[in-house]
Amino acid sequence: MSTVPRDGLVAVVKRDCPTCELTAPVLGELARRAGVAVYSQDDPTFPETVPAPLDDLDLDVSHRLKIEIVPTLIRFEDGREIARTYGWDRGEWERVTGVGGLGEGLPESRPGCGAKNIEPGTIERLKVRFNETGLRARRIALGDDEDEQEAMFSRGWSDGLPLVPPTEERVLRMLDGTARDPQEVVGIVPPALAPATVEKIAINAVMAGCKPEYLPVVLAAVEAVLDESFAMHGVLATTMFVGPVVIVNGAIRRQIGMNAKGNALGQGNRANSSIGRALQLVIRNIGEGRPQEVDRATLGNPGKLSYCFAEDEEGSSWEPLSVERGVKPGASAVTVFAGFGLQGVVDQKSREPESLARSMAASLKAIHHVKSAPGCDAILVVCPEHERTFRSAGWSKARLYEELYRLCEIPGDQVIAGAQGIAEGGPASLAGKTVNKFRPGGLMIVRAGGDAGMFSGIIGGWSGGGARGSLPVTREVKP
Amino acid sequence: MANLEARGIPTVGVATTEFIQGAEAQAKALGTDPALVFIPHPVQDRTDDELKQLADQHLDAIVKLLVK
Amino acid sequence: MTVLLDPTSERSPTVTPRLPRPERLDGLTIGILDIAKARGDVFLKRLGDRLSERGITVKHYAKPTNTRPAPLPLQQQIATEVNVVIEGLSD
Repeated sequence: MSTVPRDGLVAVVKRDCPTCELTAPVLGELARRAGVAVYSQDDPTFPETVPAPLDDLDLDVSHRLKIEIVPTLIRFEDGREIARTYGWDRGEWERVTGVGGLGEGLPESRPGCGAKNIEPGTIERLKVRFNETGLRARRIALGDDEDEQEAMFSRGWSDGLPLVPPTEERVLRMLDGTARDPQEVVGIVPPALAPATVEKIAINAVMAGCKPEYLPVVLAAVEAVLDESFAMHGVLATTMFVGPVVIVNGAIRRQIGMNAKGNALGQGNRANSSIGRALQLVIRNIGEGRPQEVDRATLGNPGKLSYCFAEDEEGSSWEPLSVERGVKPGASAVTVFAGFGLQGVVDQKSREPESLARSMAASLKAIHHVKSAPGCDAILVVCPEHERTFRSAGWSKARLYEELYRLCEIPGDQVIAGAQGIAEGGPASLAGKTVNKFRPGGLMIVRAGGDAGMFSGIIGGWSGGGARGSLPVTREVKP
Repeated sequence: MANLEARGIPTVGVATTEFIQGAEAQAKALGTDPALVFIPHPVQDRTDDELKQLADQHLDAIVKLLVK
Repeated sequence: MTVLLDPTSERSPTVTPRLPRPERLDGLTIGILDIAKARGDVFLKRLGDRLSERGITVKHYAKPTNTRPAPLPLQQQIATEVNVVIEGLSD
């Protein structure tokens, strides 16, 4: 590594900078009259005006001298920096060098250019090289013969699909996506009860394929599932189907390019897929929650790979789910729900809201089992064409909730064990009573989907929902 | 060593002491922690009886690495 | 050299961990794989005999040549036929 002189002048320049070019003759002058070590960031033959420019192409010297603008001129005495200036300014250069009459014919001053060592990407590389990352996670040096992908698979980090290797540079860049302190503990992850720091979550977000700007959403989702009322341990350990489903509201959806429209619950959108995936990787890697270990799901569901989408708020007459749950309109937030699958509601003929509501209620009553009542929960994802049917009839969201709850009342006699020739069912004490399919507040409605198609969907919940089980949790997205 | 552990089969390898450093280097290069039992080198010029004796002597150590 | 940051709670070793072992060998099948270096066969046969004496099922396999990894069909066969493996004799 190049050693900077203990005494005398040091300049850092790059050829690709008009001000550095302007000062080339001045540097030549200084080389003759006082001596100056000139480091070039991009071309060791520049400037031609000094006898031997020094090569700082790897930017080590620039990093150590904390250069931000080129040209920078520094005076050292006895190993200590005693004066510095940047850009071209005759008065300043004469002050720093102690040499008068510099740069005859040049303008009084000219601003400099951005230094190469602080360009995005480069700064992370340098921090890693100089071990200044501040990252605390254990470093894992792969064997020389280890393939990166196989290395991550064999250590059990993967959900079954390839991962993005979490190098120090990638994690540093990911952490740029949040203002939060990397060592802030977002929550304690079951079943290992290990702390999830912002840094650890960022590592998993890198592996999931997130961009740095997605990180705040991932952090909010992790925070939400680690809220006690979500009962993450139970959601993980159950033999039932569920995993966390993440619904995103507010400005962040468009800022990061999430999909609330066509195929919103399917594949193809990086933000949707990677945010949901990052959450699952946190559960797997930090929490040690894995299938056939603490995760006892009999079948699980494909959403346990990733289940995250944005609500289609624009043009909807309904308030977004987050606002319904107390968040300020426009504020970005996530809601997490212990849910699974997608049961389709195909209704292409109803023109009246009453008819459409009956279609939806009939489908809702089939969640888990037609006789499973009371106490279920679910998310009804209403497609735009269906929402328009309600909107045209002047039905508010509240009106629709009211109607659906009413339609989901079921005679207790129908749900008792043995009724309808089905052994499954509820206790005999329900005879003669009316039960509701859903627990109070158990139904949540969101709008999402492409503009064409009269196909809504139902995301089923966890039996054991409610206070005995998992409650949905909403958290604002913090930058 | 065939990577049967990657196929879900717990494996113990038996090698002579000549292989100790090689095994370490290989494990480091591959990022693994193989279960190994070492028997005294050399092996090539041993009689059948000597080899059987070595097997008897090291059987317990081998079995120990195959169970909890 | 690739350096990755650990995404886990860091309770396990950094290398690929060994597989969990069964409680005991009774009732299991042990595969003994001869990697085809000289004299290994005598050593391994003796191991097999002693284990059989204990009532443990033993299956013997051999690589066709020492110089290359075990062929894929052999690896797959072993993986489906046994519960644990002893592999030797490297020198």
